[in-house]
Amino acid sequence: MKLDWRKVWVVARHEYLTNVRRTGFIIMTAIVPTLGLIALLVGALLAPQARQIGESIASFFDTGGKRIGLVDHSGEFTPVLPEYEDTFTVFASDEEAEAAVDADEVEIVLVVPEDYLETGRVIVLTKGSGFDAAVVEDSPTIHAFFVDHLLDGKVDPELRARLIDPIEPELRMLGGKEGVSGGWGVVFGFFIPYFLAVFLVMTIFTSSGYLLQGVAEEKESRVIEIVVSSVRPIELMAGKVIGLGALGLTQVGVWLGSVWLLSGGAAALLAVAATLVAPRVFLLAAVYYVLGFLLYAVLMAGVGALGTTMRESQQLAGIFSMFAMIPYMLSGLLFANPNVGLARALSYFPLTAPTMMMMRLPLADVPTIDIVVSILVLLASIPAALWFGGRLFEIGLLIYGKRPTMREVWAILRGSRTVARS
Amino acid sequence: MVIEVRDLVKRYGDVTAVDRLSFEVERGEVFGLLGPNGAGKTTTIRVIMDILRPDEGEVRVLGLPPREAKHRVGYLPEERGLYRNLKVLDTLVYLAELKGVKRAVARERAMRLLEEVDLADWAGRKVRDLSRGMQQRLQFIASFVHDPEVLFLDEPFQGLDPLNVDRIKRLILALHEQGKTIVLSSHQMDLVEALCDRILLVNHGKRVLYGDLAEIKRRYAPNAVRVRAPFLPPDLPGVAEVRSEDGSFYLTLIEGRQPNEILRALIAQDVEVEAFEVASVPLEQIFIAAVKEGVE
Repeated sequence: MKLDWRKVWVVARHEYLTNVRRTGFIIMTAIVPTLGLIALLVGALLAPQARQIGESIASFFDTGGKRIGLVDHSGEFTPVLPEYEDTFTVFASDEEAEAAVDADEVEIVLVVPEDYLETGRVIVLTKGSGFDAAVVEDSPTIHAFFVDHLLDGKVDPELRARLIDPIEPELRMLGGKEGVSGGWGVVFGFFIPYFLAVFLVMTIFTSSGYLLQGVAEEKESRVIEIVVSSVRPIELMAGKVIGLGALGLTQVGVWLGSVWLLSGGAAALLAVAATLVAPRVFLLAAVYYVLGFLLYAVLMAGVGALGTTMRESQQLAGIFSMFAMIPYMLSGLLFANPNVGLARALSYFPLTAPTMMMMRLPLADVPTIDIVVSILVLLASIPAALWFGGRLFEIGLLIYGKRPTMREVWAILRGSRTVARS
Repeated sequence: MVIEVRDLVKRYGDVTAVDRLSFEVERGEVFGLLGPNGAGKTTTIRVIMDILRPDEGEVRVLGLPPREAKHRVGYLPEERGLYRNLKVLDTLVYLAELKGVKRAVARERAMRLLEEVDLADWAGRKVRDLSRGMQQRLQFIASFVHDPEVLFLDEPFQGLDPLNVDRIKRLILALHEQGKTIVLSSHQMDLVEALCDRILLVNHGKRVLYGDLAEIKRRYAPNAVRVRAPFLPPDLPGVAEVRSEDGSFYLTLIEGRQPNEILRALIAQDVEVEAFEVASVPLEQIFIAAVKEGVE
């Protein structure tokens, strides 16, 4: 079966140019840059407020901004070190301190008994709730105050600083990934690749959706009669798959390009993403993207062509979208362990392999055997899908009126019947 | 020979749509493919257009298998439809390109044809904005925008108003004058009579009538003449029966007698003959009779 590539190209260009002008496509494509832009603008406008909100949330869990009273019976904390004079007010007696709390001069008073060193006991005087005891215990300011005063002059300042803030965490993922400082790295590590995979799958389905819609329209308007009198169904299908595949790539291109442009200032974001998503992952994601698109598009074209209206076609082709969505339903499981048995099994099944692998790759070091097997499975199933999809497409194109039953389709596929009634 | 169909068989499941059908279409003629609904005409055309594959038999188009002749054949399907959201000019260019015409050439030809059918002003509009008649015209020129040698027109007059029927008819005649071979399938027998040189009548997928239209009409003609004259002498030789019909006389002849003998007798008796013609049967009646009679 030799294809006339000139015709395939004509169909591909036609499909690309007509669909790239669709309002739906333009909106879908513009949505990512627009959302990014809105996020940037909102971020810029609300940055001061955001900081305030952040600070007030932080101060709720700290004693920052409040004046704290101190009655020191142990003698360990007086005189107060100069850096704490603004925050701490020293009272000579418990009565004096209670009066100050009553008069709202301070919100809480810490009474340090004589036996503090042995017991660690601190009495908290407050008009507020019992919650204040917990606040005092967890407050970094009060923690620093105690450590600073207890160790002043006894150890060198560096050690003192370390005792106040002993851990500055730095994440190092196993499996050769570069270390990225801070907890944000972990978040990016999960979510950027995850959403990248989600978007890729979305483009696969928008493009195959257009393919389906195009075929249904051609059938409903009967223009298909003229088209198949000029090109062979397999050429028509090839042209559509290539044209709409290019359309999907355009969408992904616009999205990635806009992210790159918008993050121009905040290049850190991209740098983080780039270090986390290794080139190997990107390359493999591209491979799965192309293979996945070919598989789904061909199958959806074939099965969709059997429908006699757009609605019917979508219902028929929906089976394949459901398979592709399975890995997303298992997201929770995958986050916990991307190499869990079920995930590996689904990576070997052609209809779930592309999405499953795209999700697993950024999350962990996927065993090489899984990559090799899944790609081989896809490579083997695409010709089968081409035969099956192409055959159904050819049959479906000329069936109007009533959708054939499964038995009829099977009979046609086995070749015991030629094209069904028209 | 432009089209050769030999013992063509096409089955849909248990139904045989085309049953050992054979015919030929000669270069430059207008060939009528006739038959009742469901007779197998459209199936036959679809096989010739390489949309369907035959179960048995052989089909040659311009001496080639249908697949290799696709670019040189045009097709106006019975089921009409175009890309509703595509622009008029883009539609024609795309369909021509699918037939292997270069883009620039297709554009030029499409514009010229749009002018011919008064649609040039609509070239940049979407197909869905066109009226029904305009869409029919557009669909019609779409079938030969790639300048084919053979053109299949399946029910080209269906659903047209008399004005557009006349328009399409004149376009068909113009194409015929350009030397194109035209295969016309239609239920409008008057138009078939006006346009076709030869016909094929099929019923239940089988050949019922086939050949030169004039010859077929003669074959079906009754042995009778129609005469318009002020009066007729009472005893004309060779005449079995005289009937008055629509202001003329309808004379049925005795078996073996020729119309010429009657004309000679009329002149000999000084009858003022205003019109004299050998009586014929409209194609429609031949169609009905032949279909009822069955295979030729």
